[in-house]
Amino acid sequence: MTSRAIRTRWATAFGAVVALALAGCSGDDGGSGSTDDPIVVGISLPLTGDFSEPGKGVQRGYEAWAKITNDKGGLLGRQIELKILDDQSNADRVVADYEQLIGKDNVDIVVGPFSTRLVVPAARVAEEYGMLFVEPAGAANEVFQQGFKNLFYAAPAVANDHYNHLAEYLLALPPGQRPTTVAYAAMDDPFAQGTAYGLKAKLEAGGVRTVVDEVYPPNTTDFGSIAAKIASSKADMVVGGSQYQDGVNLIVALQQLRYQPKLAAFSTAPTSPEFAAAIGNKTEGILSPTGYTQKAPYPSNVEFVEKYTAQFGSAPEEDEANAYTTGQVVAAAVTAAGCAEQGECQKKLVDWVRGNKVETVVGPLTWDATGKPQGAHMIQQWVGGQIQIVLPAEAKETDIVYPKPAW
Amino acid sequence: MPSGALLFQSVILGLLLGGLYALLAAGLTLYFGIMRVVMIAHSAFLILAAYLAWWSHARLGVDPLLSMIVTVPLFFGVGVVLQRLLLARLRPVTLTMMSVLLTFAIAVVIEGLLGYAFTGTQRRIQLGYGTASFGLFGARIAVVKLIAFALAGVALLTLYLLMKKTTFGWALRATIQHPDAARLVGIDTDRVAGFGFGLGLATAAVGGTALALDTTIYPSLHWHWIGPLMAIIVVGGLGSVPGAAIAAMLLGLMQSLLQIPMGTTWAQTIFYLALFATLAFRPQGFFGGRLAQRF
Repeated sequence: MTSRAIRTRWATAFGAVVALALAGCSGDDGGSGSTDDPIVVGISLPLTGDFSEPGKGVQRGYEAWAKITNDKGGLLGRQIELKILDDQSNADRVVADYEQLIGKDNVDIVVGPFSTRLVVPAARVAEEYGMLFVEPAGAANEVFQQGFKNLFYAAPAVANDHYNHLAEYLLALPPGQRPTTVAYAAMDDPFAQGTAYGLKAKLEAGGVRTVVDEVYPPNTTDFGSIAAKIASSKADMVVGGSQYQDGVNLIVALQQLRYQPKLAAFSTAPTSPEFAAAIGNKTEGILSPTGYTQKAPYPSNVEFVEKYTAQFGSAPEEDEANAYTTGQVVAAAVTAAGCAEQGECQKKLVDWVRGNKVETVVGPLTWDATGKPQGAHMIQQWVGGQIQIVLPAEAKETDIVYPKPAW
Repeated sequence: MPSGALLFQSVILGLLLGGLYALLAAGLTLYFGIMRVVMIAHSAFLILAAYLAWWSHARLGVDPLLSMIVTVPLFFGVGVVLQRLLLARLRPVTLTMMSVLLTFAIAVVIEGLLGYAFTGTQRRIQLGYGTASFGLFGARIAVVKLIAFALAGVALLTLYLLMKKTTFGWALRATIQHPDAARLVGIDTDRVAGFGFGLGLATAAVGGTALALDTTIYPSLHWHWIGPLMAIIVVGGLGSVPGAAIAAMLLGLMQSLLQIPMGTTWAQTIFYLALFATLAFRPQGFFGGRLAQRF
């Protein structure tokens, strides 16, 4: 065969492929504007691997949102259809998943996965395609330093602001009562460390001395030595920038050493339903920031808790609520813009979210230019065997107990 | 400068931790000693035993220590079957390499089954004495850590006596040292190897139970353990149980003491530094004979 013939043959083949691709695209496009077609929402979630537990929680939150919205007639009169892929908690997979959802599956909307480590690569893909990207789990500061224009975090506050109400409370105490020394132990993880260091920065600025500052890798299994360091410092207060298992292990190790701080604050772990059983109910006085409570009186939350419980048989936790909140933000934008497909519409959606306040199950949310929510977390404390909101004053269910009883 | 009290407390914590490490690594040493099998799934079996201890406590209300009445013989049996049905079929030339792949697969299967049966939720045994401790010259010793240490002591001593004082132990050691000669004097080395493997897994049943007493468990936890345990048996001299025990105690102690000036992340690298140092300067291990020549 001559080279000319080969070239012709390639050109024909290429032309055929392009034609087929175009036909495929136009076929998809043709349907998406119609009122009968569902609004397809693409999501990649860590349903297996390290983040599978919270990942499944987020999935339930999205499913609850789709069901509750569909039962009320959908968005713009169209039903919502979720298209969920499993990224196995893997940052490479999450990129491939969003490429597929946006590029190949041509979904109308994408929303975020779980964990900062997956949100950042996912947001990069969404940004590339000019898609609105509301996400339920990118609480670390670094998410908002990447220059994303389309990203919005659907929760009350970023990690560094979680303890704001506690810092204000402690610094407002009279000098005699205020803790003077604090021991910090944080997991080497942007979210967990962010929570502890946000409080550390504020307390240090207020003159409270740091006596222990430990960072441990996520695979740490033995907390005896860290606990020994904290106990030997006799710090007035201990702050754990923790996820679940490390928080529990550290608290037990501290209790084994009979360390009795005036205040103990741990992120994430104390709000988990398993927590009290895991540490043998020695929970009295332990504090934790939380972005969500089932008891919050916002109208959409009352509906969410009731319908979620009916759907899944148990009340929603924070992961579920964050995913639901993400759905609410997207729904508000779609309703206001009157569209949901890829292309021009996405710009409208982004502009709307940037300029407006959205009422959600975690309260009203607004965002700054980087997508960072403008609020703070509530502070909960174990009081009388129950976890209750103690700060801020306007949301509290009971008074903060300080100094905390012995554990 | 750390206070004397903190140093003393750290020494105690380090020794307790070292004892646990010694128990967890004992099985690995046996497999390698007997058959040159690198058993990646050992830590997965530890977590499996930990789950069984948790399950028998949470669901049946049995003290986790009693779960060993079932898990130790069960694991022994599983070990014998695994060795006879799977590992014995690998070709001797590629045994070490292929055993890594095979046992890696077993580890993944166990992790998957644990996730399927118990979900990924993190579990912890809820004992009345979970946070109990007593004082010793100003330091505190947690009861659960002491129980784990005692379990390690009993298990390792039993293992030692079994190897030194029983006919089976002699046969096993003969098989380890010179399989051909052992066959010549009438030892059924295949059978002995199977029992040896079972013995290794039986230590995993004890180790997993000890582990479950004072830690939060989840299906993928075993990946965090296999690295340090492998480091311990290499430093200790592949195949030497006393070597592994000494290495485990020393590394546990060093980890605990280095934690004071250097923090957790660097203290954990001691395992890998020790591993590099061993491979570079003394590949036969610091505390044992070359490739299991001694027990």
